[in-house]
Amino acid sequence: MLLEVRDLHVEFHTRDGVAKAVNGVNYGVDAGETLAVLGESGSGKSVTAQTIMGILDVPPGRITAGEILFEGRDLLKLKEDERRKVRGAEMAMIFQDALSSLNPVLTVGDQLGEMFTVHRGMSRKDARAKAVELMDRVRIPAARERVKQYPHQFSGGMRQRIMIAMAMALEPKLIIADEPTTALDVTVQAQVMDLLAELQRELHMGLILITHDLGVVADVADKIAVMYAGRIVETAPVHDIYKAPAHPYTRGLLESIPRLDQKGQELYAIKGLPPNLTRIPPGCAFHPRCPMAQDVCRTDVPPLYDVTESDAERGSACHFWRECLHG
Amino acid sequence: MAETTEPILEVRGLVKHYPLTSGILFKKQVGAVKAVDGVDFELARGETLGIVGESGCGKSTVAKMLVNLEKPTAGEIRYKGEDITRLSGKALKAVRRNIQMVFQDPYTSLNPRMTVGDIIGEAYDIHPEVAPKGDRRRRVQQLLDVVGLNPEYINRYPHQFSGGQRQRIGIARGLALRPEIIVADEPVSALDVSVQAQVINLMGRLQDEFDLSYIFIAHDLSIVRHISDRVGVMYLGRIVETGRDAEIYDHPTHPYTQALLSAVPVPDPQAREHRERIILAGDVPSPTNIPSGCRFRTRCWKARERCALEVPALAVPAEFRSVSGPAAHDSACHFAEEKQVVPPEGEGEGESGGGGSGPG
Repeated sequence: MLLEVRDLHVEFHTRDGVAKAVNGVNYGVDAGETLAVLGESGSGKSVTAQTIMGILDVPPGRITAGEILFEGRDLLKLKEDERRKVRGAEMAMIFQDALSSLNPVLTVGDQLGEMFTVHRGMSRKDARAKAVELMDRVRIPAARERVKQYPHQFSGGMRQRIMIAMAMALEPKLIIADEPTTALDVTVQAQVMDLLAELQRELHMGLILITHDLGVVADVADKIAVMYAGRIVETAPVHDIYKAPAHPYTRGLLESIPRLDQKGQELYAIKGLPPNLTRIPPGCAFHPRCPMAQDVCRTDVPPLYDVTESDAERGSACHFWRECLHG
Repeated sequence: MAETTEPILEVRGLVKHYPLTSGILFKKQVGAVKAVDGVDFELARGETLGIVGESGCGKSTVAKMLVNLEKPTAGEIRYKGEDITRLSGKALKAVRRNIQMVFQDPYTSLNPRMTVGDIIGEAYDIHPEVAPKGDRRRRVQQLLDVVGLNPEYINRYPHQFSGGQRQRIGIARGLALRPEIIVADEPVSALDVSVQAQVINLMGRLQDEFDLSYIFIAHDLSIVRHISDRVGVMYLGRIVETGRDAEIYDHPTHPYTQALLSAVPVPDPQAREHRERIILAGDVPSPTNIPSGCRFRTRCWKARERCALEVPALAVPAEFRSVSGPAAHDSACHFAEEKQVVPPEGEGEGESGGGGSGPG
């Protein structure tokens, strides 16, 4: 396993109390594999990613337990200067909003070249040449001229390509993409997702794709981890989960999205709201919104049950996964 | 949906150009951002017209002109036959009561210093004829109840609500004056998936209950299909294709619509293999410098010489005029061709969510 997150717990100290953002997350990704982490706002999907990258703000954040094994090494035990060598060179991140992630007062060439001057000790001239090469690779037209331009001179799609180029610069083994196409229009989104998938194949990287879009997941992922209130509620290979979800939350999500190929009547809506992270309900965090909830759900936290039926591993954190899967 | 012969809203040749000027003392117009560049559509009573398009296509500017937040550069907006762009004073006020708007961002469209009761009730200060003074509180509470919020929340402030609840407040405000038309500009795009469905269902229910007509503007094609009776696809300030929802989604004839539909990720991993995707090259051109002829030609794989010379009219293309069928709808393309890009329902095992029956 390239990356393995084990029993990760992260909390934030806020004025309203302790917000438990991540409550025991386990997931792993192999080289060449795409793991999609699906969840709504506040589900802890981005906090987990920030913790893996080591860019979590501490304080207010605090990692209270867990391990992050990257090629067998626990990243949480590394010193900051060792960690910095991993970040960028071994694993890189692509953010949602390219405009605010790029420095507005530096040219894109300088920002791309910085990867090589800082991590590889190249001269500015060589780094500039590398920057042009990278921009070519992510198919930015007229790279030689545009390398001297500033981020605001690029369109949204082009900026996201620059973000991808920057992440790929040192050919890392793992890429974490946090909602990489959410801010883009559909036609541009398709271009960018295709590019990302192609580069991943070429470089045989592991990819963690964080998203709330079930459509994007279906297009690119190999396996899925669904998060709710800081926990993984279901993990499965992508085909299985769409065919037969084993958790009522996943099932609700799948049924609540309108589809392009269907003119529905009333949409299925999950009732209620995602919980406040300072006051996560006891038992299963989803029980107040769950149509299948029984007494046991209000008291016992469901473990991630092994619900494997064929050769591919599956898990569901629902006491009644059998009913959900077959009912 | 009930349709009468007379449309409740009729838009003809709507144009909005924002001038670009240079010089400080002697301002001189050097060009224009052609945000909306000739849009026509009709809306029947009780109908929902969906308008889709990418950012910068002018869909929000159309919305603003409909509720008179922007003055059109040219064109007519006829409400029950009367051109409202020429109205002013009392007559305008009376019409505006009947066309209300729901905004995209429930976080910035509600005043944080006002209570929910004041936000919704403010409309009655401007149109006191709708609710007599003593009756307002009751009216607001009724509205809260209608949109599925606890009527006791009337004295709370917006920050005490979640995104979905705030959007319900925005909808209640839109309903306060009992309008006939609601213009909703991306009403659910800021919400989480599980909450989106609640708000969409609410809007559907309110439409039946209050006999509302909707202009529903969104970039999410799946949501637009779900809620709309008819759909208009916008590109660079113009509607390029329009028709009933099945005509647009199952039988698109304009290449832009086809590309747009094929780019939408379908929540079905089975579709990955057998779906043909049209990936458009490049970006949308700048609205200050619109290509000659067909404005889509710079990104179109079918473009020929004729496309640069002649502006295609929004009409039923010649090749479909003689046939009756779903392909015979308005499409502004010289080389319109029917192409199925969305796999039809039930093909393969593509059914989502383990069968049709919901868990509740």
